Amino acid sequence: MLTEKLIKVSMPAIGRVSNTMVARNTMALALVAVLVLGLAAGYGLAVATGSGRVTTATVGGSVATVTVTSAPTKKVFSIGVTLPLSGELSSIGKIWEKVVQLAFEDLNREVQAYGFNVEFRAVVLDDGTSEEKALQNVQSFAQQGIKVVIGPATSAQVKVVKSYVDSNKIVIISPSSTAPTLAIPNDFIFRTVGSDAGQAKVLATLAFQEGVRKVVVFHRNDEYGKAFADFFERYFKELGGTAIKIPYQTGLPDYASEVAALASRVQSEGADAVVLIAFDTDGANILSHAAESPVLSGVRWFISEGPHSAEELLSQAIGQFASKVRLLGTRPLFIANPLYEDLKKRMVQRFGVEPSVFCENLYDAVKLAGWAILRAGTYDGEAIRAALVEVAKTYYGPSGWTMFDPQGDKAQQDYGIWAIVPGGPKGYQFKDVGLYERGTVIFLEQPYQ
Amino acid sequence: MVLEYQVMINTVQYAFFYLVFSIPLTLSYRTTKVINFAHANLITYGAYTAIFLHGVAGLNIMSLATVVAFLVTGSIAVLNNVLVFTPLQRKGSPPSIVMIASMGLWIVYKYLLYIATDIANYYTSRNFMSYGRITYLDIPRGVGPSQALVAGLAIALITVVSLYVLLERTKIGRAMRAVADNPLLAEISGIPRTLVVNLTWFVCGGIVGAGGVVWTSFSGATTPEVGDSMILQVFTVSFVGGLISLLRTGVGAVLIAAVENVGIALLNTYFGVPVSFKPFLTFTTLLAILIAFPPLGAGGGLPYRFLRRGRGSD
Repeated sequence: MLTEKLIKVSMPAIGRVSNTMVARNTMALALVAVLVLGLAAGYGLAVATGSGRVTTATVGGSVATVTVTSAPTKKVFSIGVTLPLSGELSSIGKIWEKVVQLAFEDLNREVQAYGFNVEFRAVVLDDGTSEEKALQNVQSFAQQGIKVVIGPATSAQVKVVKSYVDSNKIVIISPSSTAPTLAIPNDFIFRTVGSDAGQAKVLATLAFQEGVRKVVVFHRNDEYGKAFADFFERYFKELGGTAIKIPYQTGLPDYASEVAALASRVQSEGADAVVLIAFDTDGANILSHAAESPVLSGVRWFISEGPHSAEELLSQAIGQFASKVRLLGTRPLFIANPLYEDLKKRMVQRFGVEPSVFCENLYDAVKLAGWAILRAGTYDGEAIRAALVEVAKTYYGPSGWTMFDPQGDKAQQDYGIWAIVPGGPKGYQFKDVGLYERGTVIFLEQPYQ
Repeated sequence: MVLEYQVMINTVQYAFFYLVFSIPLTLSYRTTKVINFAHANLITYGAYTAIFLHGVAGLNIMSLATVVAFLVTGSIAVLNNVLVFTPLQRKGSPPSIVMIASMGLWIVYKYLLYIATDIANYYTSRNFMSYGRITYLDIPRGVGPSQALVAGLAIALITVVSLYVLLERTKIGRAMRAVADNPLLAEISGIPRTLVVNLTWFVCGGIVGAGGVVWTSFSGATTPEVGDSMILQVFTVSFVGGLISLLRTGVGAVLIAAVENVGIALLNTYFGVPVSFKPFLTFTTLLAILIAFPPLGAGGGLPYRFLRRGRGSD
């Protein structure tokens, strides 16, 4: 409103003073002042109120005529995105950044096609895969009046921001936090991925089905690793196996001594497999040291979704190790989903990279956030939370059907089995080779001969 | 089975790294009296010199990478001194302010590296945020010890021998020791103090960078935070040397490497202590050492020469 008035005032002024040089300078100054004021006012309106029902589709249809009289009718909604662009998930964080770009472009195109004159803008911040920075990011989003945040990535980070977002009514949509301990009803945390209670079961089934009976679970000593290991142990015991848990400290420069301790333990316990619950940097590090250990090269290896798509895993040393130990991993994936295949194709065409783990969940998180804001009708955390649940019921994307369970996690989560096989430009590549269906793992192909 | 042989190998390997990273820290501190947290960047920048040479230029020759890294990180250390530490000291800033400035440098360098990795990623579409182990052409491989062990031994030997020769057998080395003992007296007796200090920074920075190159042949995944996650251990080792004695720093390198590898493996095997207790063990050792042997060099404590007479260090 303020901007409109300012523009109306300045227009006649332009006509009157355009004759002399001095006047021209004054005019330039006035214009700059008007622009600055207009921008500030517009920004203030968009961020501070961010409210007001988006009107009917006809507004979008007459964009050209509307903009002549009042430029800022297009409503801008900012959505916070906190990504692990550095730290232990940086390998996949860099790919996620591209997914965010793609998803916002698609979302904006889509809402405009439906006739909404709105624009969603991503405010992307790096959280360094650290809990403190994730909280700082969410707080800075809150200061900007942002009510919907995509991310953070890890369960430890989600746990840290939880009380803040719950009390400030900010909707968090994490595409990749999977710790079962965070499956809590009626909070402001949503996860477009199933909790690891499901994945742990798949991984336990996979290991048992492959003939393994005694495993050492080598896991991150954090929210994700501990919860995953606990659930794995429970399911593996139910199947009749034995699991010994060894936590390792995260954030170390290198894991050589941890891997040596793991080797000692595997040998002394006579275990026939290692189950690794890791992120990408630590996972790659551990695997490259394990590849040099005769003990660890002599047992089977099973891996969680964390290290999937880390480029370091495609080195010759790890590739050879993978085929020697017949390494298999699990990851949340709706295998053979045409929408996922389409996203994959577009990622390769546009950025030259294949989507990493959770890219599809991230993509859907952005889409859901946008549509939930529109459905809510008001830029308010509680309204958006209610709308999000409804939108997700009828949305189907690259990650499949996104409906949430009562705890705010993806209700229908499928899991795929992945392997590292020769091929691709780097010599080795990740391949989805199987899926989990009604209590058994079905292989679509045999990755290691 | 008591200990896997890999535990022993790791102990030796880490001892080499701690030696190469900590001795320059002690040497630079005792000569310049700057507690330099940007030391972490020197490790990281050394490693990333090798990574960029490999990932961008396709070169995997360690001898070349170490020379380039020596020049790069040596120059960075001199620049830090000329542009930040010296001006602050001239203004009469206390050591704590200079230390805080070094922390500022630490953060600045870290983010500069992130920018560099992003640019490199843009042009090569390789991931530099987390870089896998590099196999070098010019280091023997195949049968026997790993490349990292061979390279670690070489770099540690070269460092110790050349520093010994430099400090004990050359005029400039004696000047470096004189500045460390008593900067004022050294200056009065005609030693070009600024030159000596800058040379010390160059040598110290260079050695650390060369060590960083060797790190890329060892670590399974190097990240732009590799130096940061190691800096406290490196300081611990230097504290064992009282931030004064190079010999005791060397002993500290072996001690901390043994505690972190043999110690945790024994505790894990016999007492079931989780391996995640490793950092706890390191810093408990640090505290024990600090209490038993207070670091006389820290905080501008006793001059070097008194120490030498009393304890026969160095």
